[in-house]
Amino acid sequence: MVVVFFILAGILLVVLQTTVFMPSPVSSFSPDLHYVFVAYLALRLDLVRSLLILFPLVCVLDVLSGTVLGTYALSCFSGYFLLQQISSKLPVNELLYQIPLISLIYLAVSWALYLFLEFFAPGQQAAWAWWKMVIHMVLVAGATYPLFFLFDLLQKYSHRNFLPRNKLRLRSDNRRRRTT
Amino acid sequence: MVGPVQKIVTVSSNHVETFKREYVDILQDSLRLSEENKRLLKQLQDKELLLNRSREALATNASLRRLLEFKNTLDQQQSVPATIVGKDPSAMYRSVIIDQGANKGITKGDPVINSDGVVGQVFAVTPNYAKVLLAIAPSSAIDVLLQKSRVRGILKGNGTLTYRLEYILKTAEVEEQDYVVTAGYGGVFPTGLQVGVVSKIIKKSRGMFHEIEVTPSVDYQKLENLLILEQPKSSEIEKMEQQ
Repeated sequence: MVVVFFILAGILLVVLQTTVFMPSPVSSFSPDLHYVFVAYLALRLDLVRSLLILFPLVCVLDVLSGTVLGTYALSCFSGYFLLQQISSKLPVNELLYQIPLISLIYLAVSWALYLFLEFFAPGQQAAWAWWKMVIHMVLVAGATYPLFFLFDLLQKYSHRNFLPRNKLRLRSDNRRRRTT
Repeated sequence: MVGPVQKIVTVSSNHVETFKREYVDILQDSLRLSEENKRLLKQLQDKELLLNRSREALATNASLRRLLEFKNTLDQQQSVPATIVGKDPSAMYRSVIIDQGANKGITKGDPVINSDGVVGQVFAVTPNYAKVLLAIAPSSAIDVLLQKSRVRGILKGNGTLTYRLEYILKTAEVEEQDYVVTAGYGGVFPTGLQVGVVSKIIKKSRGMFHEIEVTPSVDYQKLENLLILEQPKSSEIEKMEQQ
């Protein structure tokens, strides 16, 4: 259930990111909500479920945008593993301490991705602009706390038993029979 | 005996009447006015909403009318109107998704324009949607002409709100405010579609070519309705070349 709910939430975030939060095709003030989602998966969910959620999400992102296929897969998976590795070595797991880490890794992954693409497909992407990336980083940091709160709620909701086991369990007719 | 009682009753009833008229009725009036005020406020909000909607409808109407007028100026060339439904969220690429696809005859490579000029080219098509690479994207390149001097060059995007005009020889005459139009070579874009205006010429002593910055004629911040032009078939191009 968690996987299904989170896949739907991820797709909804991508849709919001490509429509409502992207007023014009050259807007510099649109938050990378999908990255916050990736950060949540890295910090709050286990590996198997995260990968199950992440795979359809990167496919949707690659279909909806980008001219070089696989860019989003590279960015999301590298961000995911980097965050997971670094956060597992940190002594604190409080979200407020993790926000700077999330935004710094966002910047590092974007920079590395830009260099990678510039090396393998030069001239295919817009020139790197630090001020724009810092704005994106701040937007990611700003969106992290409320989105993590929403994702926590979603996770709690998705863990609820929609079909309680005790109602589905087959009972024997003789309820007074003692079990030895 | 009864007279004084009557007098007292009459006087006190007069007082009560006066009190009612001066206070209770006013209170009732103020309550009624408060209700009336609420109702009028609600009515005003409704009207404002309606006004806003009609203003939006007027703006859309004007934009579509301009697009239609522009469509009528394109001789015989088939075009499909489309609306932008999504934008690329990445800071590195510049593309949009439109609500028309292969079912409406759109193919890869079709030119995309609006009433102001060239917007880009279709680069991926599904049955109902298509992705358009904007002309400001770094991977975009369009064959163009300087309208005045008829010098040919390649217009490239750089990811910002300006284009770069390349391969214009230093011997060619270029001036600021010169219009840049599509060259029409290769048969993708029709000749003479507006692309932009030369806004800056950087003169360097080295190199063979000018470095020219072009301001787009299209406002990329307000892109909404587009026209997708159908590319002439290769057989038609051959026929045109023979003529």
